[in-house]
Amino acid sequence: MLLIGTVSVSWYLAVGAVLFVLGAVCMATKRNLLGVLMGVELVLNGANMNFIAFGSKVLRPEGSLGLDGQLIALFVIVLAAAEAAVALAIALNFYNNHNTVDVDRANELNG
Amino acid sequence: MEPTTDFYQLIDALKADSANSLGLFMPEVTLCVFIALFLAVRLITTKLDLFWVALAGAVVGLISSNPLQLCSGAVESEEMFTGLLVHDGLTVAVRSILMLFLVLFLIFTKISGVPDKEDGADVYSLIFGSTLGMCLMTSANHLLIVFLAIEMAGVPSYVLAGLIKGRKRGSEAALKYAIYGAGAAGVMLYGISLLVGLAGTAHLPTMALQLAEIIPAAGLGEQAVLCLAAVMIAVGIAFKLSAVPFHFWAPDVFHGACAEVNAFLSVASKAAALALLLRLAVGLGSVPLNEVEIPQILEVQHESIMSEAAPTQLVSLEDQVADDKSAEPAVVEETADAPANDTEAEPAADDSDEEPVAEGAAEETIDDEAQAAALATRLAIKQAHDEALSPVRNFIGLLIAFFAVVTATFGNLAAYGQTNIKRLLAYSTIAHAGYMMMSIAPLMMTLGTDHAGAEQAASALIQYIVVYVFLNLGAFSIIAFLRNYVGSEEIEDYSGMVKSRPSLVICLALIFFSLVGLPPLSGFLGKFAIFASLADGYSDTGSMALLILLLAGGINTAISLFYYLGVIKTMIMGEPNEEHHLGDRPVGDMEMTYVILITIPTVFLIVCWQWVAGFADEAVKNFIS
Amino acid sequence: MDLIAVAWPYWHQFFFVLFAATAIGFGFGVLLSKNVVRMAFYLVLSLGSTAGLFFLAGAEFVGAMQLMIYVGGTMVLLIFGVMLTAQKDFINMDTHTQDWILATIVGGSLLMVLLFGAFGSEDWKTPQDITDAEVQATKEATPLGLALTGIRVDTLGESTDAVAEGKSGYLMPFIIVSIHLLVVLIGAAYMARTKKLSHATDDKSSRAKLMLFKMEHEEEQLEEEQYVVTHRAKSALNPLDSENED
Repeated sequence: MLLIGTVSVSWYLAVGAVLFVLGAVCMATKRNLLGVLMGVELVLNGANMNFIAFGSKVLRPEGSLGLDGQLIALFVIVLAAAEAAVALAIALNFYNNHNTVDVDRANELNG
Repeated sequence: MEPTTDFYQLIDALKADSANSLGLFMPEVTLCVFIALFLAVRLITTKLDLFWVALAGAVVGLISSNPLQLCSGAVESEEMFTGLLVHDGLTVAVRSILMLFLVLFLIFTKISGVPDKEDGADVYSLIFGSTLGMCLMTSANHLLIVFLAIEMAGVPSYVLAGLIKGRKRGSEAALKYAIYGAGAAGVMLYGISLLVGLAGTAHLPTMALQLAEIIPAAGLGEQAVLCLAAVMIAVGIAFKLSAVPFHFWAPDVFHGACAEVNAFLSVASKAAALALLLRLAVGLGSVPLNEVEIPQILEVQHESIMSEAAPTQLVSLEDQVADDKSAEPAVVEETADAPANDTEAEPAADDSDEEPVAEGAAEETIDDEAQAAALATRLAIKQAHDEALSPVRNFIGLLIAFFAVVTATFGNLAAYGQTNIKRLLAYSTIAHAGYMMMSIAPLMMTLGTDHAGAEQAASALIQYIVVYVFLNLGAFSIIAFLRNYVGSEEIEDYSGMVKSRPSLVICLALIFFSLVGLPPLSGFLGKFAIFASLADGYSDTGSMALLILLLAGGINTAISLFYYLGVIKTMIMGEPNEEHHLGDRPVGDMEMTYVILITIPTVFLIVCWQWVAGFADEAVKNFIS
Repeated sequence: MDLIAVAWPYWHQFFFVLFAATAIGFGFGVLLSKNVVRMAFYLVLSLGSTAGLFFLAGAEFVGAMQLMIYVGGTMVLLIFGVMLTAQKDFINMDTHTQDWILATIVGGSLLMVLLFGAFGSEDWKTPQDITDAEVQATKEATPLGLALTGIRVDTLGESTDAVAEGKSGYLMPFIIVSIHLLVVLIGAAYMARTKKLSHATDDKSSRAKLMLFKMEHEEEQLEEEQYVVTHRAKSALNPLDSENED
């Protein structure tokens, strides 16, 4: 059905949803800190896919979001880069103190 | 239809708008300038203690946020920066509270000695950067700004949690905070994307208009998307508020970070998150009056009526509006044709003045009547919109009520059995977030139907925040000072403390009693305001949820009494622990003065409670239209 | 693209399926791989394919930024992190089986809900035919750049649209984000910088460090230096690290 019809916004959203879930599961299961951070990138990317799809005039000429979708996506990319930089610095700091990147070892504070 | 704007008009509008907005944006500009100044000063000299620069920055920020303008009457609600931010009483109030907190907090860090001179520049930049994000949170009017502000407030505080390097627990706290925070922000962003996609805009008032159009006709799929988006956004804010079940980071981070950072996280971050929650809930649940435009069909008649100068016919105009109310979606579609000349950059608040001018035909002699009629029309349209949005309000109200009950109850129950004072206060913070969220439920239930009730609920929240700033800052500063003396944050090591450091213990006891909510301390007044708004909301709407909230609040207050009392009992009745009292040093003058000053509002706020209540009332006056 | 479009009407579908499959496939690669270096590589490919989807949806500028900032910047950062922590033990790390089971159940149900949402709205589900003229009309880098300076030229023709009300210029966030980046830079440098004794993991040296913190600020309260040395050491560390010692 996909190959004979025109691709609708929903298919892009579906890709975004899959990326989001993959990222979330990645964050939940990975034991390597860097793996968790990669999960964060996937999650943000999934959300960004939504913004692009909603804002796309190619997919939906009557769509009202328009340029805002792309603008928000741009800001998200910048914020994600900033967040990744800080998270990585914190991860390296953790590595320096604990000599491990295994998140399961971060268990001295039990909540 | 011809395009009504050209490029140069857009530029002129931008210039005017930016100049106007910058004037209202001074506290944030101050923060930005001082962040740059921290770096610049250190380039020139390393001798100057940057604390004084930071303190100057915070004081300038406090002055420029001008809390006194609330005393001289309500602040008009107007949009800044082409609708990205909004400046109203709530902005002024919460921003002032944040800046006041910043001043007190900086003095506290100076006295307690964390950060040291060498780290000062970095740490103060982070604190200012985070505060900047919080200021944006309080004035956000656009979902991009919501996300941006949460990131700006959050990311520097991840670093702050690991402030003291080389400590295993600190780095673990920072790591947990960063990872959970990033996850929550990601979920929230996804929710925002769904909401933005459905409404076709990220600008909150426009979004409310669009939702009012969409919701009556929404199918199952759209409703599911809306609920999903609301829940996902709630996850992000619940994380910021450390609301159960997204609280798990709080005890660990509070335990691992130093008490100074805890004070910052538990007060500033909570206050800003509550203001943001208030903004989102009200922004999505009702259409602001000055966003409503008169549909063109009505306007034509409006004009003709006006030119005949027959006030009696106004009645028929209103009938016309009432008719249109039934065919509500049609009205909204007509809105598309309204002469919205300055869609781009003009603050929407000006619309009310401009409409008669835009029509061109309105005679000056009947200007007042024209305006009155226009106002009546817009009120009627707004009512119709608000009616359409009532499912949104109910959903948000129930969602927040659920979070509030669970959070308060869990926080209070989990506080039992804590042996570490910082963990205990972390759970206490969680419980207090629950109490504060309670006030938003009656707000949502009465919004759109009972204006006074909604204002009362919002005002109660502001009052509680004012009280809470002093309480938690006081509690954490005493803990930090005691740590410097005793070298422990375990409750059992506080045993018999009253003999060696009576002043600190008495102040801590007062603050704890106030956190419980015992009269006549300030905590009682805050709690009373919230419970009163719950009770009034219940008697107005008869909503069971509000009654449950009220009961839960009462029971929780009783529960919380015992663990606070336990700590006080240990400190006063317990046997002094000799090991920690070796060569008792007297409490330093600075510490003593600070603690007493910070406790004074707790005890004496009741004397000037009228002033606080008035401040809060003015703060919310133009926020809910 | 116009050339392809003329020659082959299904180009959009083809490229969509191609990019979507690679994005999702390599996303699964990130999730399932045990090796952190491979994970990073798969992530690069997944993000790159996402950029392809952005191009396809008409967001050329964002797609280019995705490639430059994400794939070129953020990923390099992550790979640095991988290299800095790449010790034998941490290259390959297994996820616990119970984690997998739980994650599959929760993730699966979340995916169901999200997919239901994605196909929930008729407006989103219904494909809309686009003419070549409309594809031509979506060159958006200039409006995008102007919007970042606060001028929404895309509202010029349609300023009568009710929705245009919500079209804001993004000058303020554009500037404020630069402050944010500065703060983040300071924070990251603060965290990553090796301060005196910050490598210390044994209690003795971190004790000394904390003592430094305290002594500097409370000199007026010093009664005798020796007292403070012992007292501070205890005060600073006992509550926090006493459990570490065993």
